[in-house]
Amino acid sequence: MSAGTDLPLRVLVVDDHPIWRDGVTRDLESAGLTVCGTAGDGAQAVRIATATRPDVVLLDLQLPDMSGVEVAARLSAIDPAPRILVLSASGERQDVLDAMTAGATGYLVKSASAAELLDGVRRVAAGDPVFTPGLAGLVLGEYRRLAGEPSGPTTPQLTDRETEILRLVAKGLTYPQIAERLVLSLRTVQNHVQNTLSKLQLHNKAQLVRYAIEQGIDE
Amino acid sequence: MEQLWRAVAVFRVAALAYAAVLVVANHDRYARPALGWLTLGLMAAWTVAVIALCQTTSGRSRWLFALDVAIAAGAVLATLAVETSGRIDHGAPTLPAAWAAGAVLASAVAGGWRGGGVAAVVVAAADIVERGQLTEQTFNGVVLLLFAGLVGGYLVDLALRAERAVAAASRREAAVAERERLARQIHDSVLQVLALVSRRGAGAGGELGELAQLAGEQEVALRALVAAPPAEPDDQGEIDLRSLLEPLSGDRVVVSSPAQEVRLPADVAAELAAAVREALGNVTHHGGHDARAWVLLEDETDSVVVTVRDDGVGFAGDRLAQARRDGRLGVAQSIIGRMTDIGGTATIESTPGEGTEVELRVRRD
Repeated sequence: MSAGTDLPLRVLVVDDHPIWRDGVTRDLESAGLTVCGTAGDGAQAVRIATATRPDVVLLDLQLPDMSGVEVAARLSAIDPAPRILVLSASGERQDVLDAMTAGATGYLVKSASAAELLDGVRRVAAGDPVFTPGLAGLVLGEYRRLAGEPSGPTTPQLTDRETEILRLVAKGLTYPQIAERLVLSLRTVQNHVQNTLSKLQLHNKAQLVRYAIEQGIDE
Repeated sequence: MEQLWRAVAVFRVAALAYAAVLVVANHDRYARPALGWLTLGLMAAWTVAVIALCQTTSGRSRWLFALDVAIAAGAVLATLAVETSGRIDHGAPTLPAAWAAGAVLASAVAGGWRGGGVAAVVVAAADIVERGQLTEQTFNGVVLLLFAGLVGGYLVDLALRAERAVAAASRREAAVAERERLARQIHDSVLQVLALVSRRGAGAGGELGELAQLAGEQEVALRALVAAPPAEPDDQGEIDLRSLLEPLSGDRVVVSSPAQEVRLPADVAAELAAAVREALGNVTHHGGHDARAWVLLEDETDSVVVTVRDDGVGFAGDRLAQARRDGRLGVAQSIIGRMTDIGGTATIESTPGEGTEVELRVRRD
């Protein structure tokens, strides 16, 4: 499926627990995917991702050497960047939000079933956003937080339609259900969800650039 | 507090030395020098005794300080018998001089501004009686004594309160640190195993499948438990509403909230959470066996909105009679009642086959 060919998806599994890595690897391989590597920390993950060019990195946010957001940012800086599916505990909210704005496009809780995980990997690989209701709630909250701050030229805002769709995702509706309820195509719904995330990621990048310029490290 | 007692002891000894210097310098002009030496001896003995007794908490009794103040006042009045009336009229210092203030300070440390104030009034009264009239000099002394007693006592009260606040804060901090340590440990061990058991056994039938499902449920519950922020009101009596809603998540309930705190007055938050629990209970009872529910918490700055949606059987709006028979209307009215009590609103919408959606909204003032 990578680049339109029939080659199996190549996945890098990053988690500091060997038991978990092995379990997930087995699940992915038995579904016909290729696990091109596993990593137990962030530095190793970036190294292996640079060398093996996976389609998708399955990323746990609790790593011993660096924060999840840092790993996500470094992975996103690889060219071409792998898609990142964050797989983490439901409790690490700010971490999750930070990793998403740093470049991840999907999020699943670790209690997701093997089938949900496979589906998530495939959808992220295809460029679709994988949102849990929890992530939609976080993204809504993030836009509200930004709205409460003194606004700059890059402060992103949700359109009414995007807000409506994010709220429906947060209330547990699937994309097909949302498409049916709002009389939209599935593709349109996915694009709207994707946009809510892209705007945050763009804003995040702009913030980083501005910070770099302010600190005089923009060369 | 022990430092304060040491400071009072140092003051007593220094003031005693000063009183001794005065007696040595002036004894040849006393009417009764022997009585002067005797008074100084008694003051020295009491200084030693009272410092010794103040070493321990059990020694610092109300009676000790009453006696302390009485002795200080007595020493001031003894001046009348020791000194000549001419010298007294010319403003000679009292026999104990500043030593009498030691008793006032001790009372202030032991009893706060009230204790200090009472002691200051007693010693000041003795000063005025000794002089026979309220001269400018006596007046200054009285003001200084009252000042020492009241302000000293007040500062002690403040220090005590601060000490208690610091102790409470460090207890809370220790509890939070311990909680975080436990959460890390649980995250690193138990949760991983539970999640793995749940994954490996998912889809398998029979006992294994059941075990896997149980492990999955426990994992979700445990995750919610260790991830939940502490549910305790802060100094302003406000609480993070997330701390009340997140524990409600489970196998069939997903709770979504912002990354930031959603602060509400504790009682408002409690009612809101109770309304959410009722709505969720309703899902379990009437939504159908497999109904799932999603709770969405949104902070709209001027108001807080909680939505509870389920994918159960739902009910038609014109079937209120049916709903009443099923007991659903009772729940709806209870939810609306709770929201009205806290100045909020509740809207309940349902479509047959598409579940029910309850929107709870409360304004911030």
